[in-house]
Amino acid sequence: MDNYLIAMATIACVYGLMTVSLNLSWGVTGMVNLGIAGFFGIGAYTSALLTTRLGWPVVAGVASAMVAGALVGAVLSIATLRLRDDYLAIVTLGFAEIVRLVALNELWLTNGSDGISGIPAPIPRGYGYGFSLAFLALIAALLALAAWSASRLQRSPYGRVLRAIRDDADVTAVAGKDVVRFKLKTFALSTAIAGAAGAMYGHYTSFVAPDLFAPLLTIYIFLALTIGGTGNVKGAVLGAFVLIAILEGSRYSAAFLPELSAVQQSAVREMVVAALFLLCLRFRPRGLVPERMGAAGE
Amino acid sequence: MSKSMSSARRDWLRAMSVTAIGAAVLPRSAWAQAGTPIVIGSLTPQTGAGSIYGPGMRDAIAAVVKEVNAAGGVISRQIKLVSEDDQTNPEATVRAARKLIDVDKAVAILGPWASSVAAAVAPVCWESETMCAIVGSADNITRLPHKGFLIRTQPNISMQAARFGRLALDQNPKSIYFLGPQTPFTQIYIDVVAKMAKDKGVAFASEIYDGSKTSYRSEVDKAMKFKPDVLLLGGFVNDNAVVLRDIYRAGYKGTMIGFGTGVNTKLLESVPPEAVEGIYAVTPSAALGSPAYKRLAKLINVADPGPFESQAYDMINLTVLAIAQGKQATGPAIRDNIRKVSQGGGTVVDDAVEGIKLIGEGKKINYEGASGPVEFDQYGDIVDSKFRIEQVRGGKLTLVEIS
Repeated sequence: MDNYLIAMATIACVYGLMTVSLNLSWGVTGMVNLGIAGFFGIGAYTSALLTTRLGWPVVAGVASAMVAGALVGAVLSIATLRLRDDYLAIVTLGFAEIVRLVALNELWLTNGSDGISGIPAPIPRGYGYGFSLAFLALIAALLALAAWSASRLQRSPYGRVLRAIRDDADVTAVAGKDVVRFKLKTFALSTAIAGAAGAMYGHYTSFVAPDLFAPLLTIYIFLALTIGGTGNVKGAVLGAFVLIAILEGSRYSAAFLPELSAVQQSAVREMVVAALFLLCLRFRPRGLVPERMGAAGE
Repeated sequence: MSKSMSSARRDWLRAMSVTAIGAAVLPRSAWAQAGTPIVIGSLTPQTGAGSIYGPGMRDAIAAVVKEVNAAGGVISRQIKLVSEDDQTNPEATVRAARKLIDVDKAVAILGPWASSVAAAVAPVCWESETMCAIVGSADNITRLPHKGFLIRTQPNISMQAARFGRLALDQNPKSIYFLGPQTPFTQIYIDVVAKMAKDKGVAFASEIYDGSKTSYRSEVDKAMKFKPDVLLLGGFVNDNAVVLRDIYRAGYKGTMIGFGTGVNTKLLESVPPEAVEGIYAVTPSAALGSPAYKRLAKLINVADPGPFESQAYDMINLTVLAIAQGKQATGPAIRDNIRKVSQGGGTVVDDAVEGIKLIGEGKKINYEGASGPVEFDQYGDIVDSKFRIEQVRGGKLTLVEIS
């Protein structure tokens, strides 16, 4: 049981990195990133390829994944930031699908649907239980660092500008802020974090494949952030853990319904997941930890 | 008030940490005492793209478990089947596999379906020394460093392509043309068939198309210029339906061969009969007519079980027999003994109960399954597989042979 909880906490931390990323772009700045799974994939493949093909150390792989995520994020946002916000949503959605299709078809680089196996971990896997624990510590530290930096950023004058852009970009521009520049930097920063999440996931499970970043992943992240509380870093991290708790906890619903067939139990599980999400949104529409609106001048 | 609250919390924390440390310190074997049930996990696609197959696979596994338990279990222990859903999604599969291994202490995981799912679950299994039997065609899954903890009951892509190519060459053609949609496997099919054709001195050419187009005139025209005696169609039902119309319009008179996933009753319903007459379909097949297959049909009360149900039946039987052979219910014991019961001569058996009895009498057994002879090479791949060759005759799919 303990090993299982450690594994789930590790995956929750990976999701947590993505919710922190989405919170920065969508929750704080109002840029809808429907392609978060694509950036996760970019990060996962960058680090996987560099560490398996070129033998780079894992740290360098993860760092490169962040750089790749940031670069691609910047290019995508340059192309769309001068347009209306909805365009970014559409472009990022298409982008994620492009990443998946490229990964599926460029066999020479990505090995297609077979994916890349044998991705090294920063800690020898042979340690078994010790590996699981050490990896959890590592990714929890990374998540803590990302969350701490993001909340510092959010509380700073810079973060105030981002919130202003979210609420009314025109007014912010009139106040003399270079809206496009702010958006671009923030978007690149958020996609760098998503890239790190993908890289860490690959190093944890040792395997990446195009199916990993199907659109479902993006939906999960939006759900997690909505449940946790958009615009609040604590809510983002909490949301990721609640999401995994609901996804995994619902597994045990089958035990209470032994008379149902296995197919029905799987269906019940999906219903339980949906019902719990609905309940969350019904009773905490602004999330479990809503964004705190500071007093004027704070 | 606040004092008692905090002390209650401390107590709770203490209790939790004692539990956690206890769980960490106790060796795994403490749970695996004789008399407790052996846990086997089924991890089949109950939802998602594979959900038309998963429930049947799981039923086949459950039926065998029930049968073995009714006959007294294996090594004097009952089997407890824990079923999880792989959701046809690699990320969900990893989580489900962790639960089966860490919480339920499963010694074997049976049924992960689709290559990406199988490749994702494999490292989880071999790292925790859990036996894993998968369905998935991508060649390289079994080449992973799985230390023997992985077996695959499904023929891999190269094996399927080779059967495809053999049927083409059986027509004694001067030229073969492959026309198929862009899928992760298409290039492998082309490479395998191209090599077979080259070895026989048969001309070969191919064209890969986008499977969502509404007309394939230009692709078909290009193929016709090559004047192929045999035309291989790599498509699925939807694109085949369009391709076949265009081929018919072009007045093609040669032999056409397609995959069972693209040439089946669904295709016959959507294309005029004259456009599909004479076309062959190749499908990996269960060992129809074998004693194990007939047993399975009766056991799960299905007239003609599909290849995946047959494979699931073989997976659970082999696992149980390997436990009986090794007299131990652990992942490594199953790994070390599975080939001793699946191949290498001995009394042929087609079910676990009979096999357990024979092993108890000290006899060497050789399990012959519902999906085929299920003999494995060093990588965990099956050595031989049956294929079902059908032909459309008079507007109906007619069985030509199973070989």
